[in-house]
Amino acid sequence: MVTQVLILAFVLLVVPIFAGGCVSRVDGMQGNLVFRWIGGQFLLWAGFQVICVPLILKEREFGELVNFFWLYMVALALLAAARQIRRWRGKVKAGVSRIEGFVGRKSLGEMILWAVFWGILLFQLVQAVRLAYADGDDAYYVAVSAITQDAETMYRKLPYTGGETGLDVRHSLAPFPMWLAFLAKVSGMPAVTVAHVVLPVVLISMGYAVFYLLGVRLFPDKRSRLPIYLIFVELLVLFGDYSFYTMENFMIARSRQGKAALGSIVIPFLLLLLLIWLKKLQEGEKVPMRLYLLFAAGATTGCLCSTLGALLLCMMLGIVGLLGAVCYRRLRSLFPLAVCCIPCVCYALLYLMAAD
Amino acid sequence: MWSDVVALFRAYMGTGLIVMLFCISLIYLWLREERKHIRILFLYMPVILLLLYFNPLFSRLVYGMAGNEIYYRILWLLPITIVIAYTCVHIIGRLSDGKASRKKLVAAALCMAGIIGVSGSFIYNNPYFHKAENLYHVPDSVVHICDAINVPGREVMALFPMELLQYVRQYSPVTCMPYGREAVVERWTYYDPLYNAMEAEVVDMAELVPLVREVGCHYVILPVNKERKGKPEDYGWIWFGETDGYVIYRDPARELVIPVQDPVQ
Repeated sequence: MVTQVLILAFVLLVVPIFAGGCVSRVDGMQGNLVFRWIGGQFLLWAGFQVICVPLILKEREFGELVNFFWLYMVALALLAAARQIRRWRGKVKAGVSRIEGFVGRKSLGEMILWAVFWGILLFQLVQAVRLAYADGDDAYYVAVSAITQDAETMYRKLPYTGGETGLDVRHSLAPFPMWLAFLAKVSGMPAVTVAHVVLPVVLISMGYAVFYLLGVRLFPDKRSRLPIYLIFVELLVLFGDYSFYTMENFMIARSRQGKAALGSIVIPFLLLLLLIWLKKLQEGEKVPMRLYLLFAAGATTGCLCSTLGALLLCMMLGIVGLLGAVCYRRLRSLFPLAVCCIPCVCYALLYLMAAD
Repeated sequence: MWSDVVALFRAYMGTGLIVMLFCISLIYLWLREERKHIRILFLYMPVILLLLYFNPLFSRLVYGMAGNEIYYRILWLLPITIVIAYTCVHIIGRLSDGKASRKKLVAAALCMAGIIGVSGSFIYNNPYFHKAENLYHVPDSVVHICDAINVPGREVMALFPMELLQYVRQYSPVTCMPYGREAVVERWTYYDPLYNAMEAEVVDMAELVPLVREVGCHYVILPVNKERKGKPEDYGWIWFGETDGYVIYRDPARELVIPVQDPVQ
């Protein structure tokens, strides 16, 4: 069990932080360890989606996916290492990792607020392990992961009943359960435990990490307000069960499902990127390629999480992109944003073809 | 379709109080927020999004592509949590800049937290949450039954009662079932005579046994307390075991060949 947890910690924490070195120098986030973690995970997710869907459609074995994804992770880590070495040679200090707001001199009041934030977060993580949430959709998503871990086939067995079937193309275009199966396979932990115990802890933490990064951008000069903002976010999430459909409900209760990751991690992360993008437009600065790379990774991750992700993320990028281009009179800035939507368009077209 | 869209929005709002707080926050930001990029993201984007959501042409298009069940997810693009939290901090910040005393600041923050608490609903009060029985987060009964009936190296077919259906294949992908969760979702209007026979108030063995044999089940799991008409043993079923309030029967009519394990492996 300890070995399994250590492997999962390596894959879900160490590798993304390392891979995040490829995109960590985004404006205002230089060297932020949390940004490295989230940014790196998005690069990994996007790569997983790009590798996984063709293999599923070609009806290849799950083992091949596992091998290819390991290769991708190693390649990304090597790339990040190369960039890091180049930075050290150039004596750029941006490689130094820190967690803004958490460390540094603080007043007693601020320390109490941070303690409250961490206390509430810890409470949620303990609840995620201690409590089970009976959701019928798990009968599909978690079963698909369990089947994949056991039988090495992807979307070719009936999840509800068992037995062989033709390829389920529509669901296979958003193969978040395959990522879950990958975690189960490499760690040796049963997929059902990864889904119900490990992923809630990791994905709820990631959700708050994205909210924290948004806070860093919203209060750039007033970091003392960051813990108050995060406590309010926690309260809104904890009291967000006012209906069955809210993002907050999905984030806490059904975090292992791709659609929950879409609502609680991917959409807020794209909001963060849009915030950085708009600020760049406002200041008349050139938008770095790294930011567009993250936009594309975010859009592709949205498709990994849910087939509706393609539509939602294109809508969001489209609306904000148009607003930014009009308000700042920089219509040319729309073009690279539109290019970032290409993965979404491709997966949406595949979905429509499968629906016919 | 318009009524569906409105009904979905109502369902999403719940009591409507948090959405009302969101609207108040939007008005506050419209009046007080000076940074343009934040106005675009937190004010203009949500308004345009809502206009799109209620646009009949747009809703028809999305309904056609993705179906009516998931249209509400467009509302996830509304940054409700971030906007309300940001507004609360903005107000506290203004009070702080206006040299309000620390007591007043704490009181204002507690007041806002209280309003959020009263307006929302505490997520852990959700009736679907319950204490996990094990590290798989599935009922112990499912774990014990599946462990008892599973045969290394092959799949088995078993008939489970309704309340266990959604958990079985999450825990044990080698346990197959004649029907699964599709049978219990009302809106999918699934019909299966076997399901009806199994879930009848009184299980009629004369009706159940032939249907079970038709689909080739190795095992049948029945709740101990379930009323039965006829004895399973009279139909050739063998009592296999009993655990967590369920009794497991083996139907020898369906052969269960146990594969020989290769010792080299």
